[in-house]
Amino acid sequence: MPIKATAPVAGRPMLRDPPWVRWSLIGLALGFLGLFVVLPLVTVFAQALHSGFGPYFDALAEPDALSAIRLTLLVAAIAVPVNLVFGVSAAWAISKFEFRGKSLLITLIDLPFSVSPVIAGMVYVLLFGLHGWFGPWLRAHDLQVVFALPGLVLATMFVTFPFVARELIPLMQEQGVEEEEAAVSLGARGWQIFWRVTLPNIRWGLLYGILLCNARAMGEFGAVSVVSGHIRGLTNTMPLHVEILYNEYNFVGAFAVASLLALLALVTLVAKSVVEWRWGDSLAGTRH
Amino acid sequence: MTIKVSGICKRFGSFVALDRVELDVRSGELLALLGPSGSGKTTLLRILGGLERPDQGSLTFFGEAALGLTPRDRRVGFVFQHYSLFRHMTVFDNVAFGLDVQSRKVRPSRAVITEKVRTLLALVQLEPLADRYPSQLSGGQRQRVALARALAIEPRVLLLDEPFGALDAKVRKELRRWLRRLHDEMHITSVFVTHDQEEALELADRVVVMNRGRVEQVGIPSHVYNNPASPFVYDFLGNVNRFDCVIDAGVARVAGLPLAIPAVGMAPGPAVAFFRPHDVEITRLDLPANGDGAPTPEVARARVRHIFAIGPTARIELDLSGHPVEVVMDQDRLRGLGVGGGDWCGVRLIRGQLFRAGAVAATTTYQR
Repeated sequence: MPIKATAPVAGRPMLRDPPWVRWSLIGLALGFLGLFVVLPLVTVFAQALHSGFGPYFDALAEPDALSAIRLTLLVAAIAVPVNLVFGVSAAWAISKFEFRGKSLLITLIDLPFSVSPVIAGMVYVLLFGLHGWFGPWLRAHDLQVVFALPGLVLATMFVTFPFVARELIPLMQEQGVEEEEAAVSLGARGWQIFWRVTLPNIRWGLLYGILLCNARAMGEFGAVSVVSGHIRGLTNTMPLHVEILYNEYNFVGAFAVASLLALLALVTLVAKSVVEWRWGDSLAGTRH
Repeated sequence: MTIKVSGICKRFGSFVALDRVELDVRSGELLALLGPSGSGKTTLLRILGGLERPDQGSLTFFGEAALGLTPRDRRVGFVFQHYSLFRHMTVFDNVAFGLDVQSRKVRPSRAVITEKVRTLLALVQLEPLADRYPSQLSGGQRQRVALARALAIEPRVLLLDEPFGALDAKVRKELRRWLRRLHDEMHITSVFVTHDQEEALELADRVVVMNRGRVEQVGIPSHVYNNPASPFVYDFLGNVNRFDCVIDAGVARVAGLPLAIPAVGMAPGPAVAFFRPHDVEITRLDLPANGDGAPTPEVARARVRHIFAIGPTARIELDLSGHPVEVVMDQDRLRGLGVGGGDWCGVRLIRGQLFRAGAVAATTTYQR
């Protein structure tokens, strides 16, 4: 009898469950996804286009909506590069050097993941608000952090800073310092080592981290909500603008902006999938 | 003198990796740092290469203090144990790296670099693989890329860390011979680290035997092999039969054995006797030395446990009153003796060395 080449799981008699088990598990997974992910997403777009394309684009072209879109992109454009630099340096320090307090640093990097974003926002209000620690000084120098762009950027940075570092640390730890040492022995200087040896080895992990960081930066609600002050056309980001419109029963407007936000998230996901699909091999090569 | 190491100490936490190491590397020689793992040989090599800083001591390169110099300024070529090739670069770019990163003032033109890399790849016989990536190469090929990459910067000294450690036996032998030839052609001062005594003895001009962060002995291979300076060196270089014995009145005796090893002029006390397998002789017992077949102080009775007879030499395992003894002799001579597994035979110790315990210098060479 010829030996059949089969998929690993299906080929093992012990793991070959009866069809009803298989189908009900697959059905459960798909049903769950459909109910909790696909359906809401479809609803967002359905509601947004409820009254046709005209009102949809009108809602997006409204000055306050445009300002929210601009602000969101601006905040992401500042927070993501800053966290990129921070994430790379933190990952570099943690994976290439030995120093005291290293495990504390790793724990601190995870902090934004474990702390509620609302608390992050509150902290900045306490620090930089009118009655906060630095409040009087900031006021004396005519600087505004809370209820202004700096506050939004700070809150977004706090919430998103683990993404790049978290993606890079395991990758760089696994790669070790061997290639960097080889570069040193061949006479390369610090920057040359980074650009020519380290960066090419971590580029896919880095791209991953940036995409995730960006998705979160644009979608952040809690922390940003606390420091924003919800000033229409000035300090409202897209998620905040959606909430305001929704509370005013402007469903078409709310869902139109929400659909744009969802679209940005989808673009990020597609970009990530394209990266995986197009360079999957080299990604696997550098990751494992 | 190319490199002078004096009083170098290095600790990692409480572990002493190097303890007051003294070493001279001569111009143009191929020097082996030989020792078991943890003996400090790789740490010493990394200090020479500028990848590690010693806690104490001094290091000069061509008469110039080198500890403050970066690896670039020392101009050393380093070949890493696991090659450490740049995985995202082709073979060509790997070899060109050391030239590409030179400052603009010094860096040769693109054409010169290309020419030089081609020459080096031809030297290591890898020209056709210039566009491959390291992951597409075999271990031996990677090793040669690593060597070409290190040679590209025209180093004054070449340092190799376990250059053949990760290769299989056949490739290792080939590469060893090839490296020796290369060294004879280029005459670049080279230091390599190995834990394989055969490799060190076969390849090097001089061998430095290291143990627990200290240099035990330095010398040409034949001298180190024939005149080990310490029990450790004796034990580490090649197979050896070791007997713990006690010296009393100019004779060393092994407990439970009728052996008497001359120890003229040595102070009484515990000692260790070493005999290499080819310095032990097997005789027939039916030609007794003193008539009745009883053992003499020169010939002890032993039983043959196993005979491994593959190739021109035979390896015989004897049971000498409970002590295992290894003997190596010519196949033909063994056949002439007519001794087989389980037979009784006589054992004569031809040549050996006696070390007084605790005193490295107090040794005698014993020869019949």
